[in-house]
Amino acid sequence: MKNDTVIVRLVSFALVTVTFGIGLTVLAVRLKGEQVDRVAEHRQEMDSQSSRRVLTAGPRGAIYDRHGVALAVNRLSLCIELHPEAFRPTAKGQTTASNIAAALESLAAVIGRPPKTTPEALARHLKISLARPLKVWEELSEEELARFCEHAREHPGFVCVSEYERTYPQGSLAAHLIGRVGREEIRTVAGGPRMNYIEKDLKGREGLELQYDEYLRSMPGEDLLVVDARGFATRRETLKRASAGCDLRLTLDVRLQRLVEHELDGCVGACVAIDPRDGSVLASASAPTFDPNACVPVFPKKTFRKLSEDPRKPLLNRATAGQYAPGSTFKPVTALAGLRNGWNAATEHLCTGVYEYGDMRVRCARTWGHGELDLPHALRESCNPYFCNLGMKTGIAALKAAAEDFGLGRRTGIDFPTDAAGTVPDPEWKLAHCREPWYPGDLAQMAIGQGLLLVTPLQMARVVGAIGTGRLATPRLNAAMPAQDRPLPFAKAALGSVREGMRMVVDGGTGRKAGEGVDACVIGKTGTAEVGAGANRHKNTWFLAYATPNPTSAETTPLALAMVIEHGESGGGTTAPKVAAVLRGFYNREEATE
Amino acid sequence: MKRFLLRFNWLSFVSMLALITIGAFVLASAGAARGGVFASHWKSMLGTAAVGLVFYFVLAFLDYRTVMDWIAYPGFGFALFLLVAVLLVGTTQFGGRRWLWFFQPSEISKLFVILCLAQLFGAEGELFRGQYGFRGFLAAGGLIAVPCLLILLEPDLGTTLTLVPALLVMLLVAGVWRKGLVVLLAAGAVAATAVLGAVYEAERPGTSPERRAAILRYVPLREHQVSRVKTFLFPERDGLDSGYNLRQATMTIGSGGLVGKGYGKGEAIRRELMPAMGVMNDFIFCVWAEEMGYLKGSLALLALYGLLCVSTAWTALVAGDGRGRLLAFGIATLVFAHVYVNIGMSIGLVPITGLPLPFLSLGRTFLVTVMCGLGLVQSVSLHREEKE
Repeated sequence: MKNDTVIVRLVSFALVTVTFGIGLTVLAVRLKGEQVDRVAEHRQEMDSQSSRRVLTAGPRGAIYDRHGVALAVNRLSLCIELHPEAFRPTAKGQTTASNIAAALESLAAVIGRPPKTTPEALARHLKISLARPLKVWEELSEEELARFCEHAREHPGFVCVSEYERTYPQGSLAAHLIGRVGREEIRTVAGGPRMNYIEKDLKGREGLELQYDEYLRSMPGEDLLVVDARGFATRRETLKRASAGCDLRLTLDVRLQRLVEHELDGCVGACVAIDPRDGSVLASASAPTFDPNACVPVFPKKTFRKLSEDPRKPLLNRATAGQYAPGSTFKPVTALAGLRNGWNAATEHLCTGVYEYGDMRVRCARTWGHGELDLPHALRESCNPYFCNLGMKTGIAALKAAAEDFGLGRRTGIDFPTDAAGTVPDPEWKLAHCREPWYPGDLAQMAIGQGLLLVTPLQMARVVGAIGTGRLATPRLNAAMPAQDRPLPFAKAALGSVREGMRMVVDGGTGRKAGEGVDACVIGKTGTAEVGAGANRHKNTWFLAYATPNPTSAETTPLALAMVIEHGESGGGTTAPKVAAVLRGFYNREEATE
Repeated sequence: MKRFLLRFNWLSFVSMLALITIGAFVLASAGAARGGVFASHWKSMLGTAAVGLVFYFVLAFLDYRTVMDWIAYPGFGFALFLLVAVLLVGTTQFGGRRWLWFFQPSEISKLFVILCLAQLFGAEGELFRGQYGFRGFLAAGGLIAVPCLLILLEPDLGTTLTLVPALLVMLLVAGVWRKGLVVLLAAGAVAATAVLGAVYEAERPGTSPERRAAILRYVPLREHQVSRVKTFLFPERDGLDSGYNLRQATMTIGSGGLVGKGYGKGEAIRRELMPAMGVMNDFIFCVWAEEMGYLKGSLALLALYGLLCVSTAWTALVAGDGRGRLLAFGIATLVFAHVYVNIGMSIGLVPITGLPLPFLSLGRTFLVTVMCGLGLVQSVSLHREEKE
């Protein structure tokens, strides 16, 4: 070594230095590639790794009646949430899942009931949403909350939070109308930022909750979770707070709704009451009913099966979706159709107790006939032969046109998901749907509201309201919706004589019980539709009422009301008294202040 | 005194001090982000550096020849003893049995092996004076093999990976069986290529498990080493295992960009995107590169390391005798190998292995070791004229 020349020394120094230089240059070039050329890619990767976006739900809008009485609101449900990041394994042999399982067991002993999470659900949560808290106890009672708080310090990682849950303070009142909610992932806006997690929000499934779902639903907020390398949340930020949905004010009057439901209680039937001036639905009830609180937060399978298998169909909203033969309540429509087509209201016709056409016989309610009748008296007595005769003279086209002028045979246009159209038959319809030709008897049956004709209680409430005001209003439930109506294309005189007949119905006619003791001017029409065959043959009894308040009445609102009771005796005997009770409750001062 | 000032290798000393300062800063930043006990690690590293400086100056003022005569062979024996001891009673951490009491014998042994080799081939009047043929190589091989095997048994592949280049450079400079060494190096390159090729074939998508097992039977690597090589070959493939560390490290470095995110503003460590312990140790460079960027961070650091290594090698050029030259080259190459492997592994140039970055990584044993080595090199520089 000592003999090494300077050249050898220099060469070895140069070689080593060059090696160092090459090595450092390689590093510098590669680092430039990562830090300068691919910096955007790396930054994006870091952002995506370290944050999770969460779409969060806020409280749903409430539903109120016209006077501000709450029908559907949110209550706070106390829950215990578990934050997985508090259960990181710290010692050998531990896992997050085992730590959580141990903590859950200990906390279950404190609270006094087992958590709702299964080990499988927990494992799933840890796998797919480790950064997010998991609800382990729901619907905490006050006592359970107290017990939790007492021992909260020994159970880090558990937090008590409140969650919005739908509740219906009036119980089963207007249950069919309000509908029900379920839970569903919030729908994301197309083109918005990609969300890692999407919370579930209340989603309307039926009724007004469904109709006005967009309106009631909260504006989703956005949370940002900052996560570490293992996926645990290290920080939470709220980028946008979820805002509450809009409140919905209905045209409904809870007081009237309650009166109506009280009268329907125990029956199978429906009743709709609208303000004929603007179509506001003041009451809409269907019996039997159910308690929508039973289906919060989820409709229990057992309850649902029980309700859906009940032969009386409590889940069916008969007020808007129940299709019935209108029976004699259709006679005012027949009358107006006739009057528009040359029938004279004052001309008297003979009723012999039966109407015969070919081999068809339609019996009158009075076995031996009413004798000579003009139109108002025919309505008063609800004389079948008179109206069969009138209908046959008028013809199906004119009768159908009149029915359609009253909005029958098509949807009413109400802001509600179920809005049955009913049926106004004609020869083509019968051929298409029943594959049978049209017989003259079909027309006679239709003239008295039987046969193939089908209507809903809502449609009939609208009909009687239109007869009363002369304008056909579109029913509406949302108070903020503008009122819509159109004039009835019938002569004033014709409407006048029909109203006269309907006044006489209540004033000593078939529906005399409907006006008893009511502090309002009531006109109306009874109806008894015979439906079904054989053992199932029964009568659906109707009453239509149009009530205008007296100066002494408690209310100043006129009412157009249609009530149908299945398996009744007669319109005048079964339904009219119930209508009277409703009207008394609504208009009479002493009863209203009760 | 003037002679002292002239002969003192200021470049090496100043770049070392600069690196120690950077180390304290980057550890302070990373520690603050980690919190807890980590927050004060930079202070203890500064304390260790102070101890290291004492060693540095003591060794620099003593004549390195005296020191080497005294401790080169006993030190080697001592190192072997420590390496055996750590295998028997050492503490296991991060999958390797590396700790004995408060230090890591494998780090200390690096210095002792280099000293021993320098003494063996550089001292006058020694056994292999003059021409060192194959006999010299065998002696050197035997000398190197024992500690290297012991370190591999821990297992600590990284230490072996950095020690071997240093020793090879020393052997080449000493002229030990040059032709044979060159051939051996070529053979090593071929073998390495063959191993890489075999692992590539075995881990390539579409290779059946039976075929993989059949191939790997002939590959002299353990399973975890195979997986590291695999990560090196297919960095994008395995996202959660060792590939994960690489991906996170590269992402962290890359996200720093040209000018960095600012001191104390590194996101990766604050959001715990890097394994907590590794980030203070093997991946400390990521923190620095992320916070300071390419220009102020990576390039400046590489320049400092270059300065340190080249100025240390410069001492070899001016050294008064063979021992000094070998020692200086050995230490310079050791530092360089650590820098290259440590930074290279965090950007996928080198398979991932646990290895400290000199002066920056949290590792007291290695810091003191490197400073002792540099102190000895300083001594070479200071005492170069006496036996001219």
